[in-house]
Amino acid sequence: MQEQLTEGYKAQAETLMGTVPGADSLRQSALKEFEGIGFPTNRTEEWRYSDTKALRAEEFALAGTSTSAEIAAPLGETAARFVFVNGRYAEELSDLGDLWQAMPIRPLANHFMANPDRATELIRGNDGVSLLNTALMRDGLVLSVPAGIEIDEPIEIVHVMDGADQAAAHTRHVIELGEGAEITVIEHFVGDASAYWTNSVLQARIAEGAKLRHVRLQEEGEAATHTAKAYVNLDAESEYYCVNMSVGGKAARFEAHVRVLGEEADAHVDGVSLAGTGQNHDTLTHVSHMVPNATSDQIFRTVADTRGKTAFQGKVTVVKDAQLTEADQSFKALVFDKTAEANSKPELEILADDVKCSHGATIGQLDDKAIFYLTSRGIDPVTARKILVEAFTADALVNIENEALRETLVERIRVWMASRAENVGAGE
Amino acid sequence: MAATVETKQQVEEMAEQYKYGFVTDVEMDMAPKGLSEEVVRFISAKKNEPEWMLEWRLKAYRAWLKMEEPDWARVDYPKIDYNDIYYYAAPKSQDKPKSLDEVDPELLRTYEKLGIPLREQEVLAGVEGAAKVAVDAVFDSVSVATTFREELKKAGVIFMSISEAVHEYPELVKKYLGTVVPQRDNYFAALNCAVFSDGTFVYIPKGVRCPMELSTYFRINAENTGQFERTLIVADDDSYVSYLEGCTAPMRDENQLHAAVVELIAHDNAEIKYSTVQNWYPGDKDGKGGIYNFVTKRALCKGKNSKVSWTQVETGSAVTWKYPSCVLAGDGSVGEFYSVAVTNNYQQADTGTKMIHQGKNTSSTIISKGISAGKSHNTYRGLVKVMSGADNVRNYTQCDSLLVSSECGAHTVPYIEVKNPTAQIEHEATTSKISDDQLFYCRARGFDEEEAVAMIVNGFCKEVMQHLPMEFAVEAQKLLGISLEGSVG
Repeated sequence: MQEQLTEGYKAQAETLMGTVPGADSLRQSALKEFEGIGFPTNRTEEWRYSDTKALRAEEFALAGTSTSAEIAAPLGETAARFVFVNGRYAEELSDLGDLWQAMPIRPLANHFMANPDRATELIRGNDGVSLLNTALMRDGLVLSVPAGIEIDEPIEIVHVMDGADQAAAHTRHVIELGEGAEITVIEHFVGDASAYWTNSVLQARIAEGAKLRHVRLQEEGEAATHTAKAYVNLDAESEYYCVNMSVGGKAARFEAHVRVLGEEADAHVDGVSLAGTGQNHDTLTHVSHMVPNATSDQIFRTVADTRGKTAFQGKVTVVKDAQLTEADQSFKALVFDKTAEANSKPELEILADDVKCSHGATIGQLDDKAIFYLTSRGIDPVTARKILVEAFTADALVNIENEALRETLVERIRVWMASRAENVGAGE
Repeated sequence: MAATVETKQQVEEMAEQYKYGFVTDVEMDMAPKGLSEEVVRFISAKKNEPEWMLEWRLKAYRAWLKMEEPDWARVDYPKIDYNDIYYYAAPKSQDKPKSLDEVDPELLRTYEKLGIPLREQEVLAGVEGAAKVAVDAVFDSVSVATTFREELKKAGVIFMSISEAVHEYPELVKKYLGTVVPQRDNYFAALNCAVFSDGTFVYIPKGVRCPMELSTYFRINAENTGQFERTLIVADDDSYVSYLEGCTAPMRDENQLHAAVVELIAHDNAEIKYSTVQNWYPGDKDGKGGIYNFVTKRALCKGKNSKVSWTQVETGSAVTWKYPSCVLAGDGSVGEFYSVAVTNNYQQADTGTKMIHQGKNTSSTIISKGISAGKSHNTYRGLVKVMSGADNVRNYTQCDSLLVSSECGAHTVPYIEVKNPTAQIEHEATTSKISDDQLFYCRARGFDEEEAVAMIVNGFCKEVMQHLPMEFAVEAQKLLGISLEGSVG
């Protein structure tokens, strides 16, 4: 099977040769590596809780173009909106606002011509999925924010999949923040009911004193496979705030690889996963502290309903010289019934002695006492459970400064809870 | 917190201070070097084993040939040449000695030096008024003496070396051997099944509370040998036993392999308390020599409300790969794991536990304290798994790591897998050094730095130490001192 898949993906890459100048040799070497390792399976440690059956079973073709796609509404006020339909930039659907006046915006193709070595420098921990992203990337957004530029309104990147049965979109975004720059990037993933595969990589380099807020809302279609990775490098005194919210997809996975390369940098990776019937939501984080005096924090809340499965694998590495690192991880999971499943593997790898690192993990159900407390005050049990789940998940959203945006995400939690009312109210 | 010159010296001396590092000069009876079906047959023949036992070994050996050495642990060691090891080494003697008077005096002196009382009137060195402890002394591949057998027999307790049990209680051994750790469980367990030479068998009958602590003392002596012992403890309904295990080895430049399998079975309402003080030779300060300690320990809480408690103090071995686990199958069964792992110099320890909750209302507690010093690596790796049928499971896990040098590493890899909504799982982990505030507080009250550090480390481990039987707690505390004293500061 692996051979057949490799041949198929090789043929796909062949059709892309020359489309992104400077990327051809990258494609070839990635394919060569893919040929050797193939797709990860449950026996691959980092993927032990993920579902890659769909990827391993059959080849995903390159998604064709679509003009009838339903485009999701913006998530509040935005400074600019970039829409990718089936992995291709859709200019007519995008809205650049005044953003072009503040910074150079380029398509991926241009970026490679200008910076041939930069393309993959941030990518670590290659596996079959990210290798194919490199081999098959076609489009993406390249934002270079000049030093000192601060943009309050979020910049939204919308990924839409439409009529792409057994087809895939491999996008690659590159974000570079100059010294002291500050932006918010929203990535919104939506799609129809076809069995497609979204495979997205975002790489960001945050220069000294700069700040990147990165909010992801994953609302893929019910049959979709979603694999996404963020590779982020942080310079001194810079900040990275990432919040990932997983609601959709059949098998969805997000990885955040953050390297802290400058002192007094601060990295936050938070997330909420809501896994309903037959869904598998997996999150992997790896925060590497390479220098002293930096901090990182991770807050994850997951909810698994009937036949839902959530997983969190979070790793913090503190290298030998990274003294005075402070790193925290908090992972909490709710499991609604016996067919649901929550997994967690918070991992600390500490090679420096003067550090404060901790993690806490809990898995359980809603506290009966809390429900009793609310019902004794006249709130019906179903509402009481909704309130508690909202409060439980909202912990992971506190780092979103933009109130309207945060409220939009909380609303998504409410809607999800309402759709699950049957189980939410169960047992009362 | 820079170490003072004085403490640095102390640490260096400490590495030379493995006081059990002597070699006993006795004539040995060895199997041919290397591993083959012939060697497996040789060992079985040496032990005069029945046919079924030989078949069992050969089956394991054939399975082992097809298996691959695991490499997922965070330990790093040169590839082991399994054909460069003697799989059987026994002190030469005509027959199994009938009483201690017939045991080679050289061997008795060895155990005297190690502080292990083989004469029944003696008590454990250094502890006045200690309770009686029955000892099974295993020297390389064979058990040389088992004490208090008669007294235990009166209580109905079977306590003997496993090779004797194969002959005397074949039905019991057949019924339980390999039921908790199957032959193909993992690479080292399969190897053990094929070549295990001796070990201890304990059976506590229904309703019996074992009248004294049982213990096995393992000693590797011969060069180029591996020790592969097997312990099987069965606690029948409503019984109780506390079992201790200790181990040492001579100081040698080459590495020696120790691959043991321990199986515990607890029936309804039975309780087994298993304590280990592991002090194999850890290698010298440059990481040369030392024991590879690749051990599979697992308990099956088979009966209702049964309980198994693992307590371990790990200070020795160059490389440790060990996960004492509990399969909580019986409703209401309880699993506990208390561990202190200390690594210094170039030691590597990858240890932890697995708690598999299958029964309803089962609970488990995991307290793990890792202390790394020198250039060592100390990893906690654990799994808490709740099956979907296991209602009302409760687990509490706490693993703390203390780093006492800038060149060591402390790693925590806990897996939590839950398939039942009524489970309540809590996990906490911290990694830190001794805080300056704590030190300052102690020093402000007149303790010097060394005393303060000793006090803090002691407090750090206290939750685990208090679960050790008194006889062992004394030894363990001393060991902690030897392994760490001076490296902090």
